[in-house]
Amino acid sequence: MSVANSLYARLLGWLLLLLLGLGGIMVQQAWLDAKLTADRAYDRLLEAATLAIAEQVKWQDDRLWLDLPPAALEMLSTDAEERVFYSLHDANGRFVTGNIELPALGTENSHSSPGNDIFTVDNMHYRDLPLRLGTRYARIDVWQTSAGFEVRMAHTREGRQQLTNQLFRRSLSYILGMAALSVSIFLVAIRLALAPLTRLRRALRERDPRTLEPLTLPLPRELAELREALNELLKRMRRVHAGQERFIGDASHQLRTPLAGLSARAELALRHQDPEQWRDALKAMLDTSTHASRQAMQLLSLTRLNNPEYRPELKPLNLAHLAQDAVTRHWSTCHRAGIDLGLNAPSAETNTTPPVIFGEQWQLEEALSNLIDNAQRHGARHITLSTTMEPLGILVDDDGPGIPTALRTRVLRPFHRISHDPEGSGLGLAIVNSIARAHHAQFILSDSPTGGLRAALYFPASQPNLSIAENTPCAT
Amino acid sequence: MRYLSTCLTLLLTVFITPRPGLADNILGDTTRTAANVLTLNAKNTSSKNELVLHGALDMEYITPILSAFHQRYPHISITYRNLETLELHQRFQDAPNEVDILISSAMPWQYQLANDGYAQSLDSPIAKSWPAQARWRQELFAFTFEPVVMVVHRELTQRYGQLSGYVDLLNLLKAHGTDLNGRIVTYNPATSGAGYSHAIQEAQLSPRYWDLISAFGNANAQLVNTTSAMLEGLIEGRFWIGYGLLGSYAQPSVEANPELEIIIPESYVLVTQRTALVSRHAPNAENARTFMDFLLGKTGQHIIAEQTPLGALHPEVIGEGSAAELRRLHGDALRPLALTPALLATLDNLKRQALLQRWQREFSPTLPEVTTSADAQ
Repeated sequence: MSVANSLYARLLGWLLLLLLGLGGIMVQQAWLDAKLTADRAYDRLLEAATLAIAEQVKWQDDRLWLDLPPAALEMLSTDAEERVFYSLHDANGRFVTGNIELPALGTENSHSSPGNDIFTVDNMHYRDLPLRLGTRYARIDVWQTSAGFEVRMAHTREGRQQLTNQLFRRSLSYILGMAALSVSIFLVAIRLALAPLTRLRRALRERDPRTLEPLTLPLPRELAELREALNELLKRMRRVHAGQERFIGDASHQLRTPLAGLSARAELALRHQDPEQWRDALKAMLDTSTHASRQAMQLLSLTRLNNPEYRPELKPLNLAHLAQDAVTRHWSTCHRAGIDLGLNAPSAETNTTPPVIFGEQWQLEEALSNLIDNAQRHGARHITLSTTMEPLGILVDDDGPGIPTALRTRVLRPFHRISHDPEGSGLGLAIVNSIARAHHAQFILSDSPTGGLRAALYFPASQPNLSIAENTPCAT
Repeated sequence: MRYLSTCLTLLLTVFITPRPGLADNILGDTTRTAANVLTLNAKNTSSKNELVLHGALDMEYITPILSAFHQRYPHISITYRNLETLELHQRFQDAPNEVDILISSAMPWQYQLANDGYAQSLDSPIAKSWPAQARWRQELFAFTFEPVVMVVHRELTQRYGQLSGYVDLLNLLKAHGTDLNGRIVTYNPATSGAGYSHAIQEAQLSPRYWDLISAFGNANAQLVNTTSAMLEGLIEGRFWIGYGLLGSYAQPSVEANPELEIIIPESYVLVTQRTALVSRHAPNAENARTFMDFLLGKTGQHIIAEQTPLGALHPEVIGEGSAAELRRLHGDALRPLALTPALLATLDNLKRQALLQRWQREFSPTLPEVTTSADAQ
């Protein structure tokens, strides 16, 4: 069971892809959130520490004075033991005191609102140490004047990093838990959703192989459609099955009649002592058995043609040559019966493109024989074969009584006869029809300009393009 | 190992170098000895396998540690320079790649170096298991435990009875201040790092500290820069009370002089700790890490406990000469300076000026204030 062919794997694959995508976004968001939360929490510390220092800034001896509260520094060093830096600058940015001289933060907040504390915070680097720097600008009011100053404090990021990791780990475990739960629910859900398929398979497998009854098991909508399609197929198969049974019944009936005739004739002859009678009887029996064997042959070929597994070997054939051969073959029989069999070939020499189709030679020969035979049998005096180019086809015209339009489709069924001709098998036109179907050709019965019936075989125009013209098997 | 020890000769060379001028002796609290450089050479001197230490720790205390280390790692040549704390600090900042290990009792200064990123992080199991309150970030390690004590001369106890703490001392000074004129000696916080460090700590611990300073001023107390100087005067009998001496340095002198007596106050006792750090730019970082593991390991700590009065800090080293023993005896009174950013506050310029001005005011209100910015870091 490869992945591409398994519904289960396909569904699971898509769901997992979705889960992976969403999970990725959630993980990224969780990381950003954790970072933001940690920064916010620790920035509060920076804010409080700068405030604690700013409150201790005094104006003394005409200069800024600071009694540095150690707690302000302690505040910034949490369990992570961050490095702490601070410095105090006057309004002009000159260094007053501190353990290092910290840089000023961006110029956009250039002390625009004097009197108010302004606290800003940002990331920076000091000697390769990543620091978070908070600056507070404040003023102290003395009698004559008011002095601005700036407290800058920074610490390293270990504590923030630890908090971020801690928060992120917690979010991650939630996300992973949810993912695990989702996957297990997916697994169960897909299995449940696909369970009716298993039921259908089991129902099909457990069926009596001989029955063609429709399936009735209850299925979800999507599979109910499949069940209906299956039932359609079964219905068609039932029809085909019935047709076949009828055919077999007809066929055995057809063969039983001549066999019964033979028995009756032989019995009758045996009652006589006259050899002349026997001779007549034998002659009649020979005729009957010849006819029966021909009928058996036709039944066989019809069965063969109707077999859906049958794939004819298609070869390029020249229709003109086929018609020519058929005329040659039947000419003597027709001549003896006083029938004029002719070929109406449209000047084959001038025609640059011969009417080539792909087909099985023996089948097409059989079809033409049947058509000539049929015309002959139904009292035609003139039979003419001709080929056409547009559309590609072969025609058999006669001047017999023809077939009424209403019956033209019915005569194509096996064992259907118009006249009660004892010689006819009722299979000739059915065989031609089957051959036409095997060649994707149209078999059309119409009125002939010569007064009788025109039987036409029109082949599809889009024949496989082959440059075979003269070296076809029938180009004799 | 035996092969190595037999073929390696332990060379103990003591160089006598010119002493730095007295003017430099602002922060220092090292006992003045003639020897300022100690070299222990490996036999195989061709290989450059060295270890350079700078310390504010007197030769007599560091020698047992270095010798033991050398015995164990004879292939490493050791150079130890004994420097004043400020000189040590300054020299390191000028050339941080000249030295592997810095040892100093000036905790704020050491802390500042580590805070500024001059120290490298030690990740050995020994360094990691070091007590949390005695280290900062795996970078700065306190490895001794030295209480700050009072030393009194027998003369005093014979006259005025036993002293047991600050209140006794204050009452004594109030009652007999004139009799004790010039008989008291203590650190000058303006010129001594240790003195300044003690003063700022005590001022925070007790508001009555200023009463004491004022009483000292009334009794015309003498101000010196080193424990050794105080001990000298006490031994000679010039002083009867020494206030704020390093216990580790006082102990051998007191043991040698029955006239003297150490008093550890009951209410609170400051504790100084020597700290060691490995320079980020250490030229022999591998050897430096080996030495730190030795110093903080049980072997080194046992040597500190048994052969020096410095006080071993290792939690598994107990008994005499260990921090555990001192804690057992004095319990809650011990106030070791925590390795926290608060140490940076003590180094703040303005704070230093403010404290020294206050001190001066309390000590001698009549005298004009002394400008003390000369020794600002």
